[in-house]
Amino acid sequence: MSIPALIVQYWPRLIAGLGLTVEITIISLILAGILGMVFGLLSVSKRKSLRAIALVYVDIVRGTPLLVQAFFIYFGIPAALGIQSDPVVSGVITLSLNAGGYLAEIVRGGIESISRGQMEAARSLGLPYGMAMRSVILPQAIRTMTPALINQCIITLKDTSLLSVIGVTELTQTGRLIIANNYQSFEVWAIVAMMYFIIIMILSKISKRIERKMSYGKSKN
Amino acid sequence: MGKVKIKNLKKNFDDLEVLKDINLEVKEQEVICIIGASGSGKSTLLRCINALEEASSGTIEVDGNDITKADGNINKYRQNIGMVFQQFNLFPHMTVLKNISFAPVALKLKTKEEAEETALKLLRRVDLEEKANVYPEQLSGGQQQRVAIARALAMNPDVMLFDEPTSALDPEMVGEVLNVMKQLAKDGMTMIVVTHEMGFAREVADRVIFIDEGFIVEEGPPSEIFGNPKNQRTINFLNKVL
Repeated sequence: MSIPALIVQYWPRLIAGLGLTVEITIISLILAGILGMVFGLLSVSKRKSLRAIALVYVDIVRGTPLLVQAFFIYFGIPAALGIQSDPVVSGVITLSLNAGGYLAEIVRGGIESISRGQMEAARSLGLPYGMAMRSVILPQAIRTMTPALINQCIITLKDTSLLSVIGVTELTQTGRLIIANNYQSFEVWAIVAMMYFIIIMILSKISKRIERKMSYGKSKN
Repeated sequence: MGKVKIKNLKKNFDDLEVLKDINLEVKEQEVICIIGASGSGKSTLLRCINALEEASSGTIEVDGNDITKADGNINKYRQNIGMVFQQFNLFPHMTVLKNISFAPVALKLKTKEEAEETALKLLRRVDLEEKANVYPEQLSGGQQQRVAIARALAMNPDVMLFDEPTSALDPEMVGEVLNVMKQLAKDGMTMIVVTHEMGFAREVADRVIFIDEGFIVEEGPPSEIFGNPKNQRTINFLNKVL
């Protein structure tokens, strides 16, 4: 069967797979965003103990492969606790924790890129630390963080494909199941790759636009 | 009664003793200029006064409140102490008007309308009314520093601290900033100015303080310090900079 014919025949399954991929990506990134912000803020705290907590988290995430994290969360923890686990839920937890670690580092880097004088100026006006962070530091930090944030979104989207090994029927797993039926490995992987490519290109375009909109006062050149 | 009263102030950075027993009293409406070589501790002293640096020991009273024991109240005290930095430190993501009106609104001291009205008045005072809606990046250094002064004044402080306010400026812009400061002094603001501008110190200061190696070596009216310095270290310093 030709590629167009395959697309037509398997369209509903491919779209369902892509849909689950996007859904898992979005939910994971929202949760990761919260984790990243919390641990990022902890890592710039004045308190050593808080910084240590953030450091341990980031080190664990960075120091172990995503696949091992997925296996640990899907097989390991349920086995130890004697509970049933759901692949999608385990997948979302894995990706959230994983991306959260990287986002925490991005947040830390973003905050540290803002000159110390900004915090001092805000505090000298009598603003409490939290308010200064929220209104003065973070708006500027997020701007410098944007390219790295977009990068992490794309990485997380692609990382969802690893969840196929724990049986999540996202796009990659859908491709594997289709090939198990028709043995057309070349055509099906080409279609799957193309679908990832298109969705990531769309994401890149949107984020480029966001990035442009976020610039302030800069002469447009 | 003194507006600012510093007693036995010491400040260490790890093993480095930057301030070694500073005693200083600043009266209401007094303009103090602090001079001294780089690394002498003059900026650290200024930064201790609004607790941007934590004093290692000693007391710093502003309006009778001991800043070194402020803890949770530090934000309240800082509202009363304006600070102008060498690098201006305007908020680049806010317009000039927002830079000035932001803190009073965020701290719920004024409504947005009141704060913006005050901001415009202050901008008029520093002669930058027409720049209300531009971003700091579009201003010259001198203009940015004048906005920074307006921003500090928007909190209606009792004391203004200036940390080498003209050191980062191109020479042709120093004058406009010093003029704003002179006017402020004339209007009766209590000011503590760390500066390398000896002309300004001579003309505007009520008292000049020379700091060297963490001590106040000599202090007095500018005519004394510049005209008839007593301490050899003061003489050496002034010979270098004048």
